[in-house]
Amino acid sequence: MIFNSEFSGQQQHTTQPIVTGGSVIALAYKGGVVVGADTLCSYGSMADFKNVEKIAQVSKNTIYVSSGEFSDFQQVVRELAKIDRSALQYDDGVHPSPRDYGNYLARLSYKRRCKINPLYLQNVIAGFHNGERYLGLVDIYGTYLESNFVTTGFASYFCKAIISNYWNENCTLDQAKQVIRECFKVLFCRDCRAHDVIQLAYVDEQGTHIEQPERVETKWDFSGFKNRANEKLHTQ
Amino acid sequence: MLKHLYDTDCVTWSPQGKLFQVEYAMEAVKQGSICLGLKSNENVVLCSLKRQPSELAGYQEKQFKIDDHMAIAIAGLTADARVLCKYMRTECLEYKYTYESHHPVGRLVFKVAEKSQHKTQSGAKRPYGVGLLVAGIDPNGVHLFETCPSGNYYEYKCQAIGSRSQAARTYFESWFHLFEKSTLEQLILHGLSAIKKAIMEDEELNEKNVEVGILGKNLKFTHLNAQELRDYITKLEQFSPNSQIQQE
Repeated sequence: MIFNSEFSGQQQHTTQPIVTGGSVIALAYKGGVVVGADTLCSYGSMADFKNVEKIAQVSKNTIYVSSGEFSDFQQVVRELAKIDRSALQYDDGVHPSPRDYGNYLARLSYKRRCKINPLYLQNVIAGFHNGERYLGLVDIYGTYLESNFVTTGFASYFCKAIISNYWNENCTLDQAKQVIRECFKVLFCRDCRAHDVIQLAYVDEQGTHIEQPERVETKWDFSGFKNRANEKLHTQ
Repeated sequence: MLKHLYDTDCVTWSPQGKLFQVEYAMEAVKQGSICLGLKSNENVVLCSLKRQPSELAGYQEKQFKIDDHMAIAIAGLTADARVLCKYMRTECLEYKYTYESHHPVGRLVFKVAEKSQHKTQSGAKRPYGVGLLVAGIDPNGVHLFETCPSGNYYEYKCQAIGSRSQAARTYFESWFHLFEKSTLEQLILHGLSAIKKAIMEDEELNEKNVEVGILGKNLKFTHLNAQELRDYITKLEQFSPNSQIQQE
C-alpha cells in the first residue's frame, strides 16, 4: 500500500497512477494541428469523472494534453503556464514557441525519471508557430519525439492502422477530425478505460480553438443484438 | 572641486542627483578604443579598432562570440568584459539546453543590465567598467544594443562607443538612412569608413588593428579573416556612400 509511510516523513515515489486520463490522438493537417482526447478520468476501473475538459491551452499558440496520472497533468499545466507568464516580465513580447515547451517538458520528465519519481504521463504538445506546425510527444521516461502524428496509451496499439489508411499530413481539418473520431469510436469499443465523449482542439495561424465536447457515434442496434438470434437459451 | 565631496562610493548621491562613481565608470568606457555596430534588415556588423600595448605585444581582441546568433564588442576594462562575456555565454548555453533554441537577444541584454545595476546599489561593490555593443538576431528581428555601467541599455540602428567615437557617430548621422537596405558588403564598408573617421592622423587601418564581425539571419557570427580584411580595406578607397544612393 502506498500510504504506509505517510506519517514516517519519507518521500514517496510514484509507483502507480490513481486517477488516470485516457488516450490522446494528435494529427497534423494542412495549416495546423488537431488534437483529440476523451473526457473521462478513471479511478482504476471505475469511470469516475465523466466530463473533464482536458485540453489545456498553455500559450496563445500551444496546447497540451496528456494521458496518465491526472494530478501530474494538472501540475505540468501549472509549470508550463508559469513559463509563459514569466515571459511577461521582460517586456519584449517574446513568448516561448511550442517547440520550447516540448523541449522543456522533455527535460522535466527526464529529470524526474532519473530520480525514480516520474511524472506518470505520456504528453502531447501541439502548436503552430511562425508558419510551422508542431507536434511533440514526451513519454514517462523523458523521450522526446516530434512527428506529424502522435498517439498515447491504447491509441498507439489500436489506432495507428486507421491513421495510416485514412490520413495524410496535407489533408483538410475536417478530414483529420473525422479520422480522430473514427479512432475514438474504435477505442470506445476496445479499450476498457475509454469513453464515448471526446473533445477536439486545433491550432492554426489564427490561434487556438478548443471545441465543446462531443459524443462519438456508436452503433448498438445490430440485428444480432436485437434479435438475439444466435443466443442459445439454457433450458432445463 | 565640489564633485569630490560626493564621489567616495556608489551609495552617495550628489545634491544634483548624480551618482559620481557610476559616471566615473562610464568614463572608463570612453577611454577604451573605439568599437561600433550597425545593422540592416538582414545583417549586423561590428567593427573595432584593436590596441597594441607595445610593439612587442599582440593586439587586444574586442569582439567575442556569445552564441551562434549573438556577439559583443567591448570598450573599457577588458577584465570586467570577460566576466560579462562568461555570464552571457553561460545563460545562452543554459537556455539552449532547456529549450533547444536561441536566447532572445533583448532578454539577455536585460539580464546583463540587471546585473550591472546591482553593482551600482551597494556600498561594497563597484560598477562594471565596460560598455558592450550586443549584436544579435532572433525571431523578433535584427538587434543592436548598447549596455552601460549604469545598468541602462538602449537599442540602436547604429552606435559607436569608446575613444573618438563622436567622429564615427557623426558619420552615422549622415548616412544611417542607407543602412536598412544595405547589402552586407556595403554595411561592412560603412563600418570601416566610420572607424576611419575616428583614427589618429598618423595611424592607418590594416588587417592587424581592425576587427570586423558579421552576423546575419542565415549567417552565424564570424570574424573576417586577414585576407578578407585586406580586401575590404582596399575597397574602401573606391567606396563612397554617394555611390550607394546612385545605385538605388
